[in-house]
Amino acid sequence: MQQILAMIRKEFKQIFRDIPMMAIIFIVPIIQLFVLAFAITVDVKQIKLLISDFDDSRASREIIRAFGNTDRFKIVGYTHDLNCVRGNFQEWKAQMALIIPPDFSKKMARNLHPQVQISIDGVDGNTAGVALGYAQGILSQFGTEFLIQPQYRSRLKDVHLVTMVERMWYNPDLSSEQYMVPGIAVVLLTILPMMLSAMSLVREKEIGTLEQLMVTPLKKHQLLLGKLIPFLILSFIELALLIAIAMPVFNISMNGSFFLLAVLAFFYLFTTLGLGIFISTVTQTQQQAMFFAWFIMVFMILMSGFFIPIENMPQLLQKLTYLNPMRYFMYIMRDIFQKGSSIRFLYKDAVPMTIYGLLIFSFSVIKFQKRVG
Amino acid sequence: MNRQISVYTDQLTRRFGKFVAVDGVSISVYRGEIFGFLGANGAGKTTLIRMLCGLLKPSGGEGSVAGFDIKEKSEQIKKRIGYMSQRFSLYADLTVTENIHFYGAIYGLAKEEIRQREEELVSQVGLDPYMNQMTKDLPLGIKQRLALGCAMLHNPPILFLDEPTSGVDPQARRGFWNLLYETVQTGKTIFVTTHYMDEAEYCHRVSIMDQGKIIEMGSPSQLKESHKKSTIQDVFIALVGGEKTDQKE
Ligand SMILES: Nc1ncnc2c1ncn2[C@@H]1O[C@H](COP(=O)(O)OP(=O)(O)O)[C@@H](O)[C@H]1O
Ligand SMILES: [Mg+2]
Repeated sequence: MQQILAMIRKEFKQIFRDIPMMAIIFIVPIIQLFVLAFAITVDVKQIKLLISDFDDSRASREIIRAFGNTDRFKIVGYTHDLNCVRGNFQEWKAQMALIIPPDFSKKMARNLHPQVQISIDGVDGNTAGVALGYAQGILSQFGTEFLIQPQYRSRLKDVHLVTMVERMWYNPDLSSEQYMVPGIAVVLLTILPMMLSAMSLVREKEIGTLEQLMVTPLKKHQLLLGKLIPFLILSFIELALLIAIAMPVFNISMNGSFFLLAVLAFFYLFTTLGLGIFISTVTQTQQQAMFFAWFIMVFMILMSGFFIPIENMPQLLQKLTYLNPMRYFMYIMRDIFQKGSSIRFLYKDAVPMTIYGLLIFSFSVIKFQKRVG
Repeated sequence: MNRQISVYTDQLTRRFGKFVAVDGVSISVYRGEIFGFLGANGAGKTTLIRMLCGLLKPSGGEGSVAGFDIKEKSEQIKKRIGYMSQRFSLYADLTVTENIHFYGAIYGLAKEEIRQREEELVSQVGLDPYMNQMTKDLPLGIKQRLALGCAMLHNPPILFLDEPTSGVDPQARRGFWNLLYETVQTGKTIFVTTHYMDEAEYCHRVSIMDQGKIIEMGSPSQLKESHKKSTIQDVFIALVGGEKTDQKE
């Protein structure tokens, strides 16, 4: 016990005396939070819209006004040249084009299936899908309003209009921060403990202090506990800090239990601290360790559903994500924040996550030897 | 001299892949001795010490330290040895006092004990003016004294010192060796490696190592006599070849 406390005290002294380290621990994550939360916005807003109105009628102008009235779309230009549409798409000047054919209003008056054409840049499939949905909404709204005008009332006799009232659950504003911030917290609890524990062990290896520790009667578990407990504490401080900043700044709501969150985060940390130890056993220098950690991290993050929702991945990749401990914690974190889920709903993710954590941790601890070669 | 054996090896060998770093080394070091290992860089001195301290597994042969088998009982050995590695390896970003207290706690000494040992060592090793300095700011000679102090905190009967004086001036080296003399007076055993030939003259016995093998062993006067040379340096050159000695001094 005395040994573990001495290790912990020493570790904290070293961290607090290392200014760049302090910056990495306390400032970088906050910057990360802001950059990620602002940059990776999955809200689809201000879609750049190009208008091609060959009809130039009252009806067509009304449609255009409807598109112009919402902040979902931003009209970036008008053209009568269809080649210009392609050019604008290629130069990223427009994402969507609304093409109204010359006979549109005539067909509409005669009830002959009037059509408009929507062309959309499908490179960003997610945005394209959402944009298309918005456009359909606007057009059907337009159709409904058109039909209920007095002069067309007569035709309405047999038509039952179904109107849809939308209610988006859990994230009513479709706010991307509400979805991203818990994800960022997961990323933080992955990067920070893994990097810190790996770097700190490898640094001691590099400068030779680990060798000096290894010839003392200090037991392996004392050495590792003394190393890991400070990073465990720091990780929790970071998590609290991140949540404390993100909730007011991004207007995030937390619907679940903080206690449950902390308990599950604790189990997740077995995975990331364990990976840190593992990395330290297979690398000799801080550079190698850094490289190795990045490599693992990129895979874990890509396969966690942080950027790309797992449901949108190809079947095979979806199956592979089950091997990624981060995947489970990503679900857990988002569910706790957004749905306020209790353990009754989370155990499906919590159990495999904890099993992975304990496996990875024990494997790494066994692999860590009190020897140099 | 008391003939109690502190360190014993029989055909101790360590390979790295096909390369044999330590090749069938058999020695006996007695209690109260300063036993010197003389060899050029790459001779295998560090590898041998690491095996004796339980940091490396031997590939072959036997060995015991303080009566404990080096393969089976390395944790028992670790309680009874002090080790100064070739590279200075205390915490540069802790003060002298903090390093001493840290290692004291790691060795499981009680607070009172640590304070008492600190006082004894500080005056013995001569660290008084430096206690609150950051370790990284100390001159190399003082760092080495501190490292020796930390290695002796728990009062171990056997000390392994791997090139403890490399890189410091002759005066500081002499001071350090005086310290070693005082230390063996108290019945400790010192196993020390060096590539400085003059230091070999201070040892009770030396063994000369080349390419993993011991090629000569005995007291400095015996070695000089049997090879009919006036200094250990000349003996070494005769045995190993001049180009391998360290001529900096
Ligand atoms: N971990 C290792 N892996 C491979 N070769 C090693 C390792 N450690 C030492 N060696 C090699 O063993 C030889 C002896 O090294 P060492 O014991 O450090 O010599 P000395 O301490 O006498 O200078 C050297 O040639 C060195 O390159
Ligand atoms: Mg060496």
